[in-house]
Amino acid sequence: MRYGVLVGFLIVILIISTVLSVGIGPLQVSAIQSIAILLKPLGIHISSGYTDQQEIVVTVIRLPRVIFGMFIGATLAMCGTAIQGLFRNPLADPALIGISSGAALFTVVMIVLGVHIFQDLFNTLGTYVLSIAAFAGAFLTTILIYRISQAGGKTIVSTMLLAGIAISAMAAAGTGVMTLIANDAQLRTITFWNLGSLGGATWVNVGVLVPLCLICIVGLPALSKSLNALVLGETNASHLGINVESLKTKVILLTALGIGVCVSMSGIIGFVGLVTPHIVRKIIGPEHRQVFVASGLLGAVLLVVADLVCRTVAAPVEIPIGIATSLIGAPFFLYLLLKERKTQIVF
Amino acid sequence: MITVKDIWYKSNNTQLLKGISFDVIPGDVLAVLGANGAGKTTLLKCLSKELVPEKGDILFREKTLNHWQNKDLSKHRAVLSQHYQVTLPFTVEQIVMMGRYPHFKNHPLPKDHDIVKQSLEFAGILHLQYRNYLTLSGGEQQRAQIARVLSQLWEDENDEKLLILDEPVSALDIQYQHHIMQLVRKLSTRNFAVIAVLHDLNLALQYCSKALLLRNGEQVAFGSTGIIDRALIKKVYSVDSDLVYHAATHKNYIVITE
Repeated sequence: MRYGVLVGFLIVILIISTVLSVGIGPLQVSAIQSIAILLKPLGIHISSGYTDQQEIVVTVIRLPRVIFGMFIGATLAMCGTAIQGLFRNPLADPALIGISSGAALFTVVMIVLGVHIFQDLFNTLGTYVLSIAAFAGAFLTTILIYRISQAGGKTIVSTMLLAGIAISAMAAAGTGVMTLIANDAQLRTITFWNLGSLGGATWVNVGVLVPLCLICIVGLPALSKSLNALVLGETNASHLGINVESLKTKVILLTALGIGVCVSMSGIIGFVGLVTPHIVRKIIGPEHRQVFVASGLLGAVLLVVADLVCRTVAAPVEIPIGIATSLIGAPFFLYLLLKERKTQIVF
Repeated sequence: MITVKDIWYKSNNTQLLKGISFDVIPGDVLAVLGANGAGKTTLLKCLSKELVPEKGDILFREKTLNHWQNKDLSKHRAVLSQHYQVTLPFTVEQIVMMGRYPHFKNHPLPKDHDIVKQSLEFAGILHLQYRNYLTLSGGEQQRAQIARVLSQLWEDENDEKLLILDEPVSALDIQYQHHIMQLVRKLSTRNFAVIAVLHDLNLALQYCSKALLLRNGEQVAFGSTGIIDRALIKKVYSVDSDLVYHAATHKNYIVITE
């Protein structure tokens, strides 16, 4: 009941924020004009008298960016949910425990060194090369963190968070080395990756991002039942007939794919994966299928709105969205730490 | 329904189980007794297919345990541990519904909801249905877990089922210890065979029909709980004791005299 209301509400909000986002900017497009432009490709014509220039700005510049925000937000939030389920801990976040840093490092290495070493790969695979590199980085980091933080069948939270710090530091050092040998153009790209931005949104990139994100968005909710059972512990889940090893592999592969492709497209956007599932669980409880669907929607709303704020609040300067999510997310994380310390549920 | 034939298990060059043999049938409540390190937990892990014995055979419903798929096994066999590290705020109903996971694919059917309700009722916690599991007391949590394993095996009363309990009451106060053991005994009337590791000899005498006594991985005795006497207790726990008959309950109780 509550779940249905929340999902309906989020869908409405997502539609509203999409219409607002494609309309607001240096060139203003009214809501009704935006709706008319958005519905045109679907064969629905509303006469609202928009200009060609407005149509081009909306369809070529703003719409891919909104789609970017939607899919990256949904994927990050759902991957956060999955990682928290896998670690059986509500404090796990792909960016916080170093998965995103790992992905970013591999991407940056690929940008700087890959051009020389993997020239052929670049020529044949194009943008996918960066996604593949980011996927590899995310995959290796997830496995590493999981191995380090598990002891006797449960997650040692402090170890998980500290290992995340260590891995982020290592990745930052690696990225630092890359900046020393990078040329000017590469340097700009690296900075972009470190701060996180949806500025790379083009229809070509949307074409790469959306199918890969969809694998995550469709694949992760199918693991809901197993993730619920995992809350009883690995052994007890296996007594319920759950194949825990295969579950772990699937979660790690899918989240690495999701985080990898998001990082390769937008850099590190932190805390979305932490904050979103938390808010959702507060409202509808921890059942994973519902949390996946609702966090996906909420994550999409959050990033679309955050991006709108980031590119308009100090226009013409665009604030990197990673900075904005950290500004909101980091205090929220501190609040969670304090709260968990009181309830003693997590540590 | 489960027959254990001369199983041996070794870990890190230490022989933890040395030739254990016994069998239980539906209606039996078997207490596995022994001092710390006697091999009780290792035995239970072998019985729940977490560990595979190096030698010997475990037959579950006439089929070697190791040949069972986890998925099929989970429809006939449930395991209850001493405590659970639940970290997310699931409701009691959601925890109990997990027992139905082996039986439905993605979404619970009306039948699953019925069974959850009946299991909650059986465990006497229907009033806690919508409560957050994390806010329950230890005894209430354990009863929720009992309801969960119950809903896992609720299907078809004529089907033979096995329930394995690893120190089910060790963490509970006396009132809840008896609550839980009464529930366990009530289960044996529903075509369940129960195997439970217990520390309290008097609980074993009161609620179990059979006993398996272990010492240093060896089987000291197996039989009805009536076989437990001074000599056996001395051998297994190295303490002196007396068996005292209590007229009102018509039962023997063990008093440690040392």
